[in-house]
Amino acid sequence: MISDLLFRLRAAFRRLTVEAELDDELRFHIDGEVEKLMRSGLARPEALRRARLALGGMDLVKEECRQARGIWALEIAMQDLRYAMRGIRRSPAFTLAAVLTLGFGTGTISTVFTLANTLFFRELPVQRSDRIVVVQATRRHGRWAGWVSYPDYVHFRDQNKTLQELAAHYSTAPLSVTVGSGSPAQHSQELNGAVVSANFFSLLGLRPALGRFFRPDEDSVPDRDPVAVLSYNLCRNWFGLSPDGRPGSDALGATLKINGTTFRVIGVAPPEFRGVTVMPDEIYIPTMMARSGYRWCQDAFAGDCTVFDMIGRLRDGYTVEQARAEMTTLVPPPWTAAGAAAKEGENTAIAVFHRTGVLDGNTGRTGQVRFIELLAGVAGVLLLVCCVNLAGLLIARNSARTREFAIRVSLGAGSLRLTRQLITESLLLAVSGGVLGMIFSLALTGGLNAMFYTFDVEGHPLHYDFTLELRVMAAVAAISIGAGLLVGVVPALRSTRAGAARSLKQQSSAMSTGPRLGRWLAGAQAGVAVALAAVAGLLTTSAHMLVAGTNFETSHVALMRLRPRLLKYPPEKAQQFLRTAIERLEAVPGVESASMVGTGAVLIGGTTQVSLPEWADSQALKCGYIENAPRYFEVLGIPVLRGREFDRRDTVQSPPVAIVSEALARRLWPTGTVVGASLLVNGHPHQVVGIVKDVRLQTRGMPVEPYVYAPFWQNPVQLDARLCVRVRGDPTAMLPALAREVNRVDPDVPIAETITLPLQMAGMTKELQVTASFVGYAAVLAILLSAVGLYGTLAFSVSRRTKEIGIRMAVGARPAEVLGMVIREGMTVIAIGAATGMGLAIAATGVIRHLLYGSGAADAQVYAGAALVVAFAGILACWVPARRAASVEPVIALREE
Amino acid sequence: MADQNIPLPQGTLDLLILKTVALGPQHGWAISERVQQMSSDALQVRQGSLYPALHRLERRGWIKARWSTTDNNRRAKYYELTRGGRKQLEAQTESWRRLTAAVGQILDTA
Repeated sequence: MISDLLFRLRAAFRRLTVEAELDDELRFHIDGEVEKLMRSGLARPEALRRARLALGGMDLVKEECRQARGIWALEIAMQDLRYAMRGIRRSPAFTLAAVLTLGFGTGTISTVFTLANTLFFRELPVQRSDRIVVVQATRRHGRWAGWVSYPDYVHFRDQNKTLQELAAHYSTAPLSVTVGSGSPAQHSQELNGAVVSANFFSLLGLRPALGRFFRPDEDSVPDRDPVAVLSYNLCRNWFGLSPDGRPGSDALGATLKINGTTFRVIGVAPPEFRGVTVMPDEIYIPTMMARSGYRWCQDAFAGDCTVFDMIGRLRDGYTVEQARAEMTTLVPPPWTAAGAAAKEGENTAIAVFHRTGVLDGNTGRTGQVRFIELLAGVAGVLLLVCCVNLAGLLIARNSARTREFAIRVSLGAGSLRLTRQLITESLLLAVSGGVLGMIFSLALTGGLNAMFYTFDVEGHPLHYDFTLELRVMAAVAAISIGAGLLVGVVPALRSTRAGAARSLKQQSSAMSTGPRLGRWLAGAQAGVAVALAAVAGLLTTSAHMLVAGTNFETSHVALMRLRPRLLKYPPEKAQQFLRTAIERLEAVPGVESASMVGTGAVLIGGTTQVSLPEWADSQALKCGYIENAPRYFEVLGIPVLRGREFDRRDTVQSPPVAIVSEALARRLWPTGTVVGASLLVNGHPHQVVGIVKDVRLQTRGMPVEPYVYAPFWQNPVQLDARLCVRVRGDPTAMLPALAREVNRVDPDVPIAETITLPLQMAGMTKELQVTASFVGYAAVLAILLSAVGLYGTLAFSVSRRTKEIGIRMAVGARPAEVLGMVIREGMTVIAIGAATGMGLAIAATGVIRHLLYGSGAADAQVYAGAALVVAFAGILACWVPARRAASVEPVIALREE
Repeated sequence: MADQNIPLPQGTLDLLILKTVALGPQHGWAISERVQQMSSDALQVRQGSLYPALHRLERRGWIKARWSTTDNNRRAKYYELTRGGRKQLEAQTESWRRLTAAVGQILDTA
């Protein structure tokens, strides 16, 4: 059997070799014969003639040999394929339904693959990307991991032996860049830039699209070499492209002002390289120019200024594990000195890992894994629903073809041959479905990308590369072929197993298993549809509740970020600017109120420690911290329960004051009366002047985070601010006018992160949003599929029962009763399915708890809503077959058969 | 001379080939010669029908082919018996014996 297959395969695929061998073999025979004849005394020509005669016609022999080798496997496959194509042309409706079903199923799963590939597996578009590793500091406490100081970087760079090179980069540097200073063409923009060590580009193995990258000597003396490399994108936007599509050479040697320092452009990065993080870098400067690109530390090169990420290339012959082991031995002693007492934000250890996927400090791997698992689960369920649907379609179709199979078997087709034919048909469907799914997933991924992966919370551009990769296509192909085979082969075997004669005789009994199974399948699908719809409803409500806010009101708030710090403004000048900006904004028509915060984003802020004067240090509570200007609570609609907001009285000269959230008040003063009390914020005494309602940004399972608020104007070194402005009408439409007004105050200060508060909130919960839209989409599909499945089953059942219905009507059943009977039949299935689905939905609620915001009060309504929607779809699906049944003419029905 | 030759009954060529290669690996021409010799030229094997038969037997896995060099250094395709082929040879020999015996008995008694 196997040797037969190999032989045929060889014959099919090595056709030319086999033919040549046959030629050789026959020539050898002729030669042998000729020699023999010549030995008996014949002349060569005569011997040749006789030898040929003895063998018979050469071509005839060859043809017979070819036949003896059997028909080519390929030829059979082509035959099957042609037959399958004919079948498809014969039943376009079935084919369309099957291909669409498979397409939907594989499309969603392929979208999950694409997301997962980008998040976890895609490598950087650089040379030998499998050798690139991330060397990252880890911390015992604190949300952020990764950054090291310049001296620590130099230490790791110079001491290690397992890495060929180690580069430092600060890839999320906000740079205020001005081009063409003083000329009419001047324009300036705040861009995301990167401060990189000179070996950064060579380590990645990149070639400049134009000019060159940094030389080592340009990154050796602080502040000496103001040279910059542009991204391809920026070069194209600012300097254009030459006619041959290459970046314009005008860029080379051009001067730019970056955060006030003049830089010279020396090169342009290749187009496919957008930096090593999800925030595309538009401009690169050497680490020695870090002081121009970094403002948080007095000295960017100091040992306590942790600003750099590290990326390395493994030396040949070394593995990641070896590099990790070595780096661990190189950890600087101060890192481990504090031991378990390490404070928040202090580096304590080092991690080394392959650089694949994207690095997103905000969510972290575990969060992303959970996110992808959830999506994969949904897509898997949907694929299952699609498979069930397809199986139903195939069973129905095969029942209808029982006669065809029986005839073919009677005519001598082996059951193997028949099964192969059916498998070919399934494969053809599977491949078409897979291709459709792929196209489908491109659209879906494109949509998700545009909605969630193009801008971050603060409106900065993001770059996620979702282009298809071979491994995704291979996985999708495997899934769709697997699904096609699975749902195709089982019914096929069932159909062919039935003996030819028996099925010819008893085709009706063979068919009767179809609808019964079909009903089960329709019920199961309805259940899944209800569960998916419920989950989609919960997620959408959750997203809506978070964005709308409880105890705050987001819908009419516009945001923008001002950073005079980037221009090295002294505090007095910066604060004067901010004060004027707020005053001018409040005077703009359409603006109701304006305020700002100093640390962190609006509503979110940063963290600090609070305690009561009588407490020991170790008792201090960690809580949220926001420094805000007057009218902040008014702008955001956060109710002030007792006391007052900050106002003009709270200045650097007046005693420090604070406002606490309800949750913090309860923790610190369980017995009440807090206005006027004293508390320590980060060790400094403040007097409480008010209590505000809690701003709940946590999901259901988590306790609400307590917050303490301090006045913006009581911080004398405050330079930068995020503004929040409540407007009448659409905040998006107001943003340009607001930005113009700020520009009028001081045209030099760059304005960034102009975005609305609902958008910021939506961006904060990207995973929730993606999951909600994804599950919503899956739910719509599942409802559609279950309705179609139910429709198919009922229509089939009605057509088979025409005679019975005819009899019923002949003995007096009214059309309305028949209508009711069919609808009852269908809705029983739906009802059982929906009940199961509710159970599933309640179970699923536990799984998605980490995505649910707001109270669970409305959950029951969501479950009920989901069941209603599915039931409605079910009634629609029942209606057409029921009407057909009700319109059966008894006389005609009985005359049939 | 042609009149004295017996045309080969259907299906017996396979048996003869199997028997011939059972003696050791042979190339096509040698098999053809050997069959003629062993039957003392009594059987007429059409040379042209030998090769399709060889290919058919190879496909069934009863013989296997490999390319090798002859004594005078030419490449030729040698066929040898496989384990399955040996079983087949035994079975076919047995049934051939029974057939001839049965036919012989009928001819003798009739």
